[in-house]
Amino acid sequence: MKANPLDQLNKRSTLSKVLIPLTWFIFLLSAGLIVYYFSAFPSWRLGGWIHINGFSIVIYAVVSFFSGIVQMYSANYMKGFKYQNKFLLLCLAFSLSVMLFVVSNHVVLMVLFWFLMGAIMSKLIGIDSEWKEAKHASKFARTNYYGGTLCFALGIAILVFTTGAFSRTEILLNLESAVQWQITLASLFILTAAIIQSAIFPFHRWLLSAMTSPTPASALMHAGFVNGAGILLTLFAPVLFKANILLLIFIIGGVTAIVAQFSKLLQVNVKQKLACSTIAQMSFMVMQCGLGFFSAAITHLILHGFYKAYLFLTAGEEVKNALPKPPETIIIKPLQAVVITLSAILGGVFFSFLTGKGIALDSGLFLTFIVAITVGQVVYNILNHANVAGVTKLIITPILIIAGVGVYALVFNGVTLLMYDMPMANVAVELTAVHIIFGIVFLIAFHIMLSGIYRKIPWLYVKLMNVSQPLNKSVISFKTK
Amino acid sequence: MTKREQILLSIEAASQRIGTTWPLYSFVASNPLSGYEKLSFENAVKEAEHYLKSKSYPSASVYRTALENNHIDKSILEGILREAEYYDNPEAYLNQMENAPQKTSQPQSKLDVIMTKWLAVFMDEGMAEWQMPNKEKGFFKAWKALASYDKDIGKPSLKHVPDDSVDAIEQVLSAHNISNYNELFTAHISALPGWTGYIKHRTNTNTVWQQQFPITIEDYLAVRLTIANHLGFSLEVDKKPKEDTPDTKLKHLWLKAWEKTFQDKLTLNLASQAAQNTLENKADLPDAQMVFCIDTRSELIRRHVEASGNYETFGYAGFFGIAADYQHYQEDISVKSCPPIVGSPYKITEAPLENTSVKDEAFKRNKKVATSKTRILKRLKNMLPSSFGFVEGSGAFYGLSLVAQSFMPKVFLKLKNDKNEYESFCEPQITYNDTTQKAIALEEKVAIVKSGFDLMGWEQFAPLVLFVGHGSKTANNPFASSLDCGACAANPGRHNARLLATLANDKDVRRVLAKAHNINIPKSTIFVGAEHNTTTDEIELFDNQVPETHKMSLKALKDNLLKAQETATAERLGVTSGSIALAQAKSINWGETRPEWGLAKNAAFIVGSRKLTASSNLDGRCFMHSYNWKLDPEGKALEGIMGGPMVVTQWINNHYYFSTVDNDKFGGGSKVTHNITGHYGVVQGNGGDLKMGLPLQSLKSTDTDMYHQPLRLTTIIHAPLERVESILRKNKHLQMLLDNEWMYLKVMDSSDKNTIRTYTKNFNWHPEKINVSKVKIENVKVTNIDIN
Repeated sequence: MKANPLDQLNKRSTLSKVLIPLTWFIFLLSAGLIVYYFSAFPSWRLGGWIHINGFSIVIYAVVSFFSGIVQMYSANYMKGFKYQNKFLLLCLAFSLSVMLFVVSNHVVLMVLFWFLMGAIMSKLIGIDSEWKEAKHASKFARTNYYGGTLCFALGIAILVFTTGAFSRTEILLNLESAVQWQITLASLFILTAAIIQSAIFPFHRWLLSAMTSPTPASALMHAGFVNGAGILLTLFAPVLFKANILLLIFIIGGVTAIVAQFSKLLQVNVKQKLACSTIAQMSFMVMQCGLGFFSAAITHLILHGFYKAYLFLTAGEEVKNALPKPPETIIIKPLQAVVITLSAILGGVFFSFLTGKGIALDSGLFLTFIVAITVGQVVYNILNHANVAGVTKLIITPILIIAGVGVYALVFNGVTLLMYDMPMANVAVELTAVHIIFGIVFLIAFHIMLSGIYRKIPWLYVKLMNVSQPLNKSVISFKTK
Repeated sequence: MTKREQILLSIEAASQRIGTTWPLYSFVASNPLSGYEKLSFENAVKEAEHYLKSKSYPSASVYRTALENNHIDKSILEGILREAEYYDNPEAYLNQMENAPQKTSQPQSKLDVIMTKWLAVFMDEGMAEWQMPNKEKGFFKAWKALASYDKDIGKPSLKHVPDDSVDAIEQVLSAHNISNYNELFTAHISALPGWTGYIKHRTNTNTVWQQQFPITIEDYLAVRLTIANHLGFSLEVDKKPKEDTPDTKLKHLWLKAWEKTFQDKLTLNLASQAAQNTLENKADLPDAQMVFCIDTRSELIRRHVEASGNYETFGYAGFFGIAADYQHYQEDISVKSCPPIVGSPYKITEAPLENTSVKDEAFKRNKKVATSKTRILKRLKNMLPSSFGFVEGSGAFYGLSLVAQSFMPKVFLKLKNDKNEYESFCEPQITYNDTTQKAIALEEKVAIVKSGFDLMGWEQFAPLVLFVGHGSKTANNPFASSLDCGACAANPGRHNARLLATLANDKDVRRVLAKAHNINIPKSTIFVGAEHNTTTDEIELFDNQVPETHKMSLKALKDNLLKAQETATAERLGVTSGSIALAQAKSINWGETRPEWGLAKNAAFIVGSRKLTASSNLDGRCFMHSYNWKLDPEGKALEGIMGGPMVVTQWINNHYYFSTVDNDKFGGGSKVTHNITGHYGVVQGNGGDLKMGLPLQSLKSTDTDMYHQPLRLTTIIHAPLERVESILRKNKHLQMLLDNEWMYLKVMDSSDKNTIRTYTKNFNWHPEKINVSKVKIENVKVTNIDIN
């Protein structure tokens, strides 16, 4: 019987057949180590070059998980694509560069792998080299990443200069002897590198212009690459504390979070909408760093990764034949308000009980505050919109909340435990007026969203629309493709 | 003529230069160059090349492959070339075509970027929570109200710009010295043919979105010209090229050679069948008869169904002659369920059967819960700051979903779609499509049933008659509806099939059919609605009403259909074992970009008895409509087939053709970088023009290897020549399509020993010399498939 020309469409490519099991093997190995050692994770060193601990293995598990999922997806999705193998190898190279970055201890390795992450990601954005728009998007992203690497290298160089050490762990040990203004300068550079990678304002536009990458690469980008800020800030947490810029980090995150979340509301295509959401979520992650809870930021980047990878990989399901609907009006009856507030408080208390956050008068309160408002929101929505009987509501609401808050707290506690030897990764800071102001701003923003007042501000609409546009040349350049 | 009228007329004419972009939830495969059909194909594509900057013929490398694979017969090609006075060998011309210089063009891209930004937000169908302000005032006014904040155009003051879009156009034009409006408008409309094509769709069909948020081509031009004027762009347009490049002429000849190679094989095949004299044999009564859509995918399944038992099959347009909208029972929408070129005087609705209220209530409850679930999730994701808390609380569950989708898609799907199928407890009903919603008159029901049997040339009734609509099941696929039944406006055909079965089972309908029309349906005959899932080749029967007497034969039929599914999928996927499982896996895999091939490879439309084709393997390349010339002396049925299905197949065929030869312009580009916009369309990557046609993965087996062969449709009708000719003379539109070579027509002349004649311009019929005696007739019904 003659060979079927469509055979290749019925099975996975040889490269996939090798890489997928390999990736899952790494995942299982990491997961196994986590289970085996858990709260007493040892730390392994290779001279001043490599340093492996519980934190690195958490990242290994996460990266190999996303990589495995994305590769399985791509094994079908990228069939017939002219650069299929190049794509698979780039995905692999990207995962490896993240993995190597998190275990790097020597500053040269850190800068090198940080650079590689960006270089590879920009290649994925422009993988279709015949496509002009993709080329522009790739070039734009690359410029951003290289700028980030430069900032990172400068920050590191200053740290090396001021502490006299060449590995991250030693730098952190020698911080006490360093010159304060140099530490501050270095941490500002590191912060800049971090927020470029996480597409925080004003460096958000590369992410909004990066849809020229194939869908699975976007999943990898939004679940992996953009987490850079969380990882980088965590690794250098003591430097940031020493430089005393946590409040600045909190503010940068807070402002971008609000702008991005509002911009998300007006997006009309699925990937840009997800990108705005990613920016908002990354900003929140940065806020968590600013609160001193780096382990919360790591938890957030993991959970957000699941969420965003799933939404990207199912982005093809957004075709719908729907009818126009007028915006909903919100009416909260007094009794409902009481129930909502009460359950919000209960939810917050439950979270405090599980994680110990929000008991003292410190930045932990802010974390609990977010959980409480979310619980209130869930209760409000179920009360008003769920088309089920009252009794059912009474049962499912607590179940959903306990499951949601419980699982979150569980992951959070687990990650915190695994990061026990990361210095200053889970230290509450003093509650300041800025925190309270942002709490109030969030409440106001929440109210604005509820009431829909924003719909009546046309200039804001145009402003946000323009802020969230991709780079012009990456939309339509001179089209000769 | 006032200036205003002149402008409006020019816009009207310019709009013909672009096609219509259909929404992806009801993907209609239409000819993107339908506005050029008054020109000959050769001239039309030349015009289009100029206005749309498109490619019109397969590339040289595609021709090379076709020649190497003998899809282009070398001697035929040489003959055609010689006739056109090209005396070199084909290889030389291939080289010439390969080395032809590529045309490059540079449209004003800044204007395009600004326009796509505004068009996308205005035409959004519910993706954005925060809609463009003032949308209800129409595109031009809404844009004007916001434009003064747009820094992309320098925050202009627009006080002096009139409120009416045509006035605004007039104002811009009067500032420039422009004589030829037509050229100017055409250039600007065809700069973004995908988006403007969607405006055309909205204005033509007056969708609900259009009623609430109107947009017109005039609005588009007014916004575009006002911006261009404001940014100081020149309004000049490039002039027509004088000469056509020599390689287009060559490419046209190569296309003809390719088409002729295909046609010769097909006609030889049909002629040999006819020569066997089997056409006149009266068949024994089959165990069951099944009616499938004319869709090319039916050819394969019909072959395998026939091979699985004593069954007879027919081809009929998949909306089963029911010109209706369908009121969805699952979602609160009403969709068109007949070809877009046909009006919908009727409406199909669902009503629960007696004693099913428990099921019905459970169904409705689930439906409500599902709606509120979506709504609540949406709100939680959008709101500040619950979106952050929501991600943390639900992230782990999304993680589990990732695992389930990757490793256990079947289980995942089951958990996700817990809704029960309402077909099991509902019966379709037909009402008038107006406010009264009254059940339709008996005569009209009778007419629907009768016309089906008339068109198909039905002679006898088996105990089981199945009306088999078709639909597809694919996952995570923006182009899902392009795989559904085109005759049902890209919806699954099950509802129409079920309804026709219900009508044909109706005692009153049968009584009138017998009394007034002499169509006697035996009491023992039962009609059943069904659906062919084209992705898995499963045939699902909606048999909740079948009486006990038929249960046994129904069981036997189902067993055979399962066998047919196995052999059909094996042939289609080219595997020897596990074909059903493979097809099912493709159907639910979220990363599958080629779950099935849709109508790819379509090249011919055969109108005639199944006996003409029953013993041939047509490789899924033919649309087939049953027709019995003996039962249609006045030619009414044939006229219906030629005016309806034939035109629709030509549309589909042209759509596939142009999507293949210029996938970026007329198709959808690669799925790999698609980005769904507004719930109705896709753009590539960050934006740009709205995509108007089929994606690469529906047409090519890899980025470079072709799957669909871009050939113009060949229709073959088995009927007296005179009858066909008189129909053509009556319908100028059909004659125009043929004279302009948008499709081919051949007639197997039943009045002249079944000689095959080809139509050429102005009713010249060119007889084909086919030497049947040389051909060995093979029974290739189901070839070389080894099932273990």
